[in-house]
Amino acid sequence: MNIRPLLTLLALAVLPPVMAQPVPETLLASQAIDLSSGAWDGVVNIDVSVLVPDYREPWNAGQPSGGSGTGFLIGKNRFLTNAHVVSNATRILIRTSNDPEPHPAKIVHIAHDCDLALIEAEDPKHFEKLKPLDFGGIPQLNTEVIAVGYPIGGDRISVTRGVVSRIDFRPYSHTSVDSHLAIQVDAAINPGNSGGPVLQAGKVVGVAFQGFSGRVAQNVGYMIPMPVIKRFLKDIEDGRYDHYVDLAASDFPIENPAQAKALGTNGGGVGVMVADVEPAGSVGEILKIGDVILGIDDNPVLNNGLVRYEGELVDMNEIVERKFAGDKIKLEFMREGKKQEVTVTLKRFDPYVRLGATYNQRPRYVVFAGLVFQPMDRNLMDAHQIRDRTVSYVFDNFLTNKLYVERPEPVVLTSVLPDEVNTWLTPYAHSIVDEINGVKIKSLKDVQTALSKKDQAFIEIRLLEKSRPLVLKREIAEAAHPRIMQTYNILGDSFVGEE
Amino acid sequence: MKLFTSFLLLAFSATCLQAQAPGPAAPKKKRVLTAPAAAAQPVVQNSSLVKVNATSQAYNLHLPWQKESPSGRRGLGVVLAGNRVLVTAQMAADATYLELELPESGQKIPAKVVAVDYEANLALLESPPSDKQKAFFAGLKPMSIDASARIGDAVSILQTGRVGELIESPLNISKVLSRRYIVEGSGFLVYEATGIIRSEANSFTLPVVKGGKLAGLLLSYDSKNQVTTILPAPIIEHFLKDVADGSYEGFPGLGMELQATQDEQFREFLGLKPNEPGVLISAVVKGASAEQAGMKKGDILVSINGFTIDSRGDYKDPQYGALSAGHLVRGRAYVGDKVEIKVIREGKEVTLNGTLTRKKPEDHLVLPYRFDQGPRYVLMGGLLFQELSRPYLDAFGEEQRSGAILRLARIATHPEKYEEAGRRKLVFLSLVLPTPGAQGYDKLGGQVVNKVNGKVINDLNDLAEAFKSAKETWHLIELDDFPHLLHLDTFGAERDNMRLLDGAYRIGSLKRLE
Repeated sequence: MNIRPLLTLLALAVLPPVMAQPVPETLLASQAIDLSSGAWDGVVNIDVSVLVPDYREPWNAGQPSGGSGTGFLIGKNRFLTNAHVVSNATRILIRTSNDPEPHPAKIVHIAHDCDLALIEAEDPKHFEKLKPLDFGGIPQLNTEVIAVGYPIGGDRISVTRGVVSRIDFRPYSHTSVDSHLAIQVDAAINPGNSGGPVLQAGKVVGVAFQGFSGRVAQNVGYMIPMPVIKRFLKDIEDGRYDHYVDLAASDFPIENPAQAKALGTNGGGVGVMVADVEPAGSVGEILKIGDVILGIDDNPVLNNGLVRYEGELVDMNEIVERKFAGDKIKLEFMREGKKQEVTVTLKRFDPYVRLGATYNQRPRYVVFAGLVFQPMDRNLMDAHQIRDRTVSYVFDNFLTNKLYVERPEPVVLTSVLPDEVNTWLTPYAHSIVDEINGVKIKSLKDVQTALSKKDQAFIEIRLLEKSRPLVLKREIAEAAHPRIMQTYNILGDSFVGEE
Repeated sequence: MKLFTSFLLLAFSATCLQAQAPGPAAPKKKRVLTAPAAAAQPVVQNSSLVKVNATSQAYNLHLPWQKESPSGRRGLGVVLAGNRVLVTAQMAADATYLELELPESGQKIPAKVVAVDYEANLALLESPPSDKQKAFFAGLKPMSIDASARIGDAVSILQTGRVGELIESPLNISKVLSRRYIVEGSGFLVYEATGIIRSEANSFTLPVVKGGKLAGLLLSYDSKNQVTTILPAPIIEHFLKDVADGSYEGFPGLGMELQATQDEQFREFLGLKPNEPGVLISAVVKGASAEQAGMKKGDILVSINGFTIDSRGDYKDPQYGALSAGHLVRGRAYVGDKVEIKVIREGKEVTLNGTLTRKKPEDHLVLPYRFDQGPRYVLMGGLLFQELSRPYLDAFGEEQRSGAILRLARIATHPEKYEEAGRRKLVFLSLVLPTPGAQGYDKLGGQVVNKVNGKVINDLNDLAEAFKSAKETWHLIELDDFPHLLHLDTFGAERDNMRLLDGAYRIGSLKRLE
């Protein structure tokens, strides 16, 4: 009852090219591996020191910790691994299976939206002689694969074996808001396997990246398949990662005969209704609710939003997913019975990023007279465990109700560090800042600007859907500010981002 | 018969304010029969109490053509003048059958509701005049009301045992405050008392007496902290006086939101001197008494009817001490009374004069409560439309609230935008039954309806009317949310309507608009 179909915006998959490669029988049989041969020296252990940012005390450095994963050589001093292995890293060390020497490395490109990263050794000499691993294609169901890496349970390289269980579109847990094609295997994939190659017939067919804990499901591990890897490698060819692009429109299947008639599709099974359009997305200025998408890049779109592509029925968004920022796509649609054709330049849809976890970023904040202001995003919501109804509503409906249009970066009063100056304001923590001295707050920077204006004797902070404004007498607040900074051990009173 | 009633579990607790279903029947206790004492103890009776047995049956909020299964409630009513019996409104809510029972003899007669106020949680019952009724009330005498209770006074809760014997639990009034009773809305006067109440057979209504006179009715009992809340006599008197004049108006309200002004910097910002009284008016309800009297958001309220309002929003009540300003209007005044409000506006004191009114539940965009009547609905070709109400949202519980329900719940707390747009009620698509004509829509639900066939929908009557004027061979339904547009074949919808009547879903009527 009352199920609202989820927006399909974030569900972008690269279509698996169907490459039925016959696998030589001999390669499927178990083969002993001689580590001394150096054949697998390209599979390396990545040891990472990380600093997890503190979104509760954003002025602090965060919590130091460490982790370990796997990576593999794919070219001259180029190692592919998962983004989550090297996220928030302060130091990265690479070790090969035959050499205990640690080699410092650094990130070249990191793509959080598809959980892939490219790293390089600071001194390439040691790896010059190693042979990079070759890429294969999409393995077929029920064919054998092996996962190679450095999972928990020992220090040396490990091999586990299994078959391809399923090829499906899955959420990628690293950001929690992106979904792409993923391949499920029943080879054991454990913590530490992340970033390691999954091989078939000696070629890489995927990067091991996530699984379920044993309490949830057994023998379910996932790898990032070749189409996603290839897209990442192509994207960074120009020296920059541009992220996935999106139409940022949601569709509604035309199953109802009256709807088909009213929209003029005449029940031919072609055409899906546009049910919502994000104004900030690629088609924000082009499509309207009630339009009927008939074709995408010359592929007819069926009434349920699927297209037949390379022999398979797939979501029309998967055609978009193979494209890059700035690429064009041809859309054929019908409005009020008239067919139209447009070319759309694809771009990333930014507002959704705020809803997912972010990494490698120093938390941004402004502190004034003990009032802590931070921009709303998932990291903040998780760290502060915010239950306030207004804040939750704005976060949950940031896209669905298009709240990002009015307030691209909502700012939350996350805490009030108690002091004489703000003692009556403490109950108002966990509120969204609407205005400061009459200026609408659309970003953290606006807070800083509004607070620094000294033209008024009072600072009046209006909170969204809270019944009274917070009022500070500027003179008293400014006098209290250094005292509070010192008492609560805050070194800098703001960090609004790299200029 | 008496034996049977005594096994019902006493169901009052802090939660019984909401939970109306009676607790499960207590396990049958083994009665150890002891030899009678040398001289039989005389049984103390109270001739002003009658047992009240109610059967209630609420409508199903999700399938509004149906009713839920009936359940029973028991309480102890107070006999008042004119052979009327006072109980809490909870007792009479959604009642299908009400009866009165003499505690000692077990004699029963049917009763009906004469007056009920769900906000004040009070109901008055009566049994139609007959010989049986005359005989029933012959041995009963009305209890008088005593509204003089103060903090520190001793009162007692009355219960009756198996054979009608009186069981008294002494309590002490420790606090007087203002709090809402059983439905959403402004606060009413409440006594808080401490003491232990033993569990007995009656549950929903229990009288509280002071020196043999009625001082209140039990609202809730928190057995862990031994704290009782009591619906006090002044509210009962107000209710009875209102009923007595023939037309029931209910309790008035000003319709405003107050903000305390203890914060020195805030006071200075508002232009208040350090020891001046007054609270900030942060919101004024559209159409309510305060707005009609000319009160504006941003005013500083300093007095009501000559009582000074302090920086907390309290006044000094001669009987109870510091008490929320709301009681000045709600408890001490009647609908139609004049009210004099003093506010500070732009530094100057302004006197506002107005007449007190009450905003009726049906005047709200989102109905705050509904009892005794079925939810309004329109069913068209399998699409079920309803008007948003609190009970509908509450039926989901906090955990089930996600997506569409969360958005609807938010509208209920912030209705201003829709009220300004002229909406009387919020019509939404609540459910889609799997009819051929609604093919493709069956997973929808929770979307607010903006227009049907080009006509703006301000309530369900508008919707029913708009369905009569399709411009094409289909109805066009515009929603404020994904998927925004629905089309329904006009002929197909009528055919589906005919099939739904008395079909698998047991639908007797395609709409309820009364």
